[in-house]
Amino acid sequence: MTTCAATYPLEAMSLFLPREQSQWPSAPLTAAASSREMTLKKTKQGTGVKPSQNHDLSQLTHEDLMTRIDSVRDRQAFCLLFDHFAPRIKSHLIKLGLEDHGAEDMAQDVMVTLWQKAHLFDAEKAKLSTWIFRIARNKFIDLKRKRKYPTVNADDHLYAMPAVEETDKPVEQKQDADLVSEALKTLSADQRTVIELSFYKEMSHSEIAEHLSLPLGTVKSRIRLAFQVLKKKVGEWS
Amino acid sequence: MKETMNLNQHMPFEETGTLPDEWLMDYATGNLSTAYATLVASHRSFHPALQQKLSLVEDIGGDFINNASPMGLSADCLSKTLAMLDDGGADEPSDSTAYSRQNMEDFVPKALADVLDGPVADQHWRFLGPGMRYAKLWQEDSGETLWLLKAKGGTEVPIHDHRGLEMTLILKGSYCVADQRYEPGMLEMADDAVANHAPIIDEGDECICLVVTDAPIRLHSFVGRLFQPFIGL
Repeated sequence: MTTCAATYPLEAMSLFLPREQSQWPSAPLTAAASSREMTLKKTKQGTGVKPSQNHDLSQLTHEDLMTRIDSVRDRQAFCLLFDHFAPRIKSHLIKLGLEDHGAEDMAQDVMVTLWQKAHLFDAEKAKLSTWIFRIARNKFIDLKRKRKYPTVNADDHLYAMPAVEETDKPVEQKQDADLVSEALKTLSADQRTVIELSFYKEMSHSEIAEHLSLPLGTVKSRIRLAFQVLKKKVGEWS
Repeated sequence: MKETMNLNQHMPFEETGTLPDEWLMDYATGNLSTAYATLVASHRSFHPALQQKLSLVEDIGGDFINNASPMGLSADCLSKTLAMLDDGGADEPSDSTAYSRQNMEDFVPKALADVLDGPVADQHWRFLGPGMRYAKLWQEDSGETLWLLKAKGGTEVPIHDHRGLEMTLILKGSYCVADQRYEPGMLEMADDAVANHAPIIDEGDECICLVVTDAPIRLHSFVGRLFQPFIGL
């Protein structure tokens, strides 16, 4: 179920990301934009709004631009998202090891998927950057692996739950990607390094340990500690 | 891909049988081999709360993308992309292994069902030892092997050591290793620090597990040694 175009594992994995409507820090909703948002919501219900003329789209959040793409196939909204994300997706993919041309092709591909699958994006459940990460990840995996990478369907809960569930709390707590962004800034340089290596170097923990000249146990406990810090911060702030 | 882990240094996992965070991170970043990823995704089906951690990793990934230094694009990149928008997703891959619960046992997680060609009971089961059967699902180029283990209640699995990591997800039934009981949804991780590994299947129901081994297991018993060359685990 790796193929995001067909089966949308990224969507499946997003279902446990309940969150409030996010506000993009660089493009806060103005009063005017809020009223436009109202219009957009109506649009979704079928009142019909013409594509973007007379709208100052630059005032909208990324998530709201997605709403416009979904509801009125607004190419101008797409262009704004393209301007922001395509160069950053390319950068992300180059860090993952793709060469320039391949990274640009895949960044294009991610953006096309964003357009074609806009109806599957749910701003209540995921921030756009998180959704884009999933699309890019799945495309990258498809390129690298012969076999499909198994993904989780959030609805797949087996009746046979283990007896011991002490560490598992019900998924009720809202997780806000903006908080994650803030929480990441509170990590120590050491903690951030192991997280980044996990993302970008395709390194096993042993390889990270070797790369950093650290014992394996230290690397693993550093990742766990970073994780705890993030979870705690996100929990505190939400 | 995963190498030896001295799990004796990190016991919290053993108390709950849930996956350590660094493995969740590797799963959500796409960093695991497919064999391990199948096991992790299956494990996740038993533990809805793990989803929140996976989502946290994806939020981190999203933040990394959002804060990445923008790289220059070719001049015609946007126009080419715009031209592709309304192709209607012609390149959508067909989903040849569409998940079906039909005839699939209740204890089979989706991630596992997706890679099986039929119910667990109908897999190509082979003799592994008294009371034990195994069905090999596939082997990675790296040697990591995904397989199913089935053992009758009361079976004592032959004592064995590990050269690498053995990760076991209990799907049905239960077993004990020393004082620790492993039940459906729990993971057991055993590596070369765990010598003389000898799980005992609980009396009663058969026990079915999904297993990944990244190196051949060394069985101690005569029967084990006898069959070792043939089983390819």
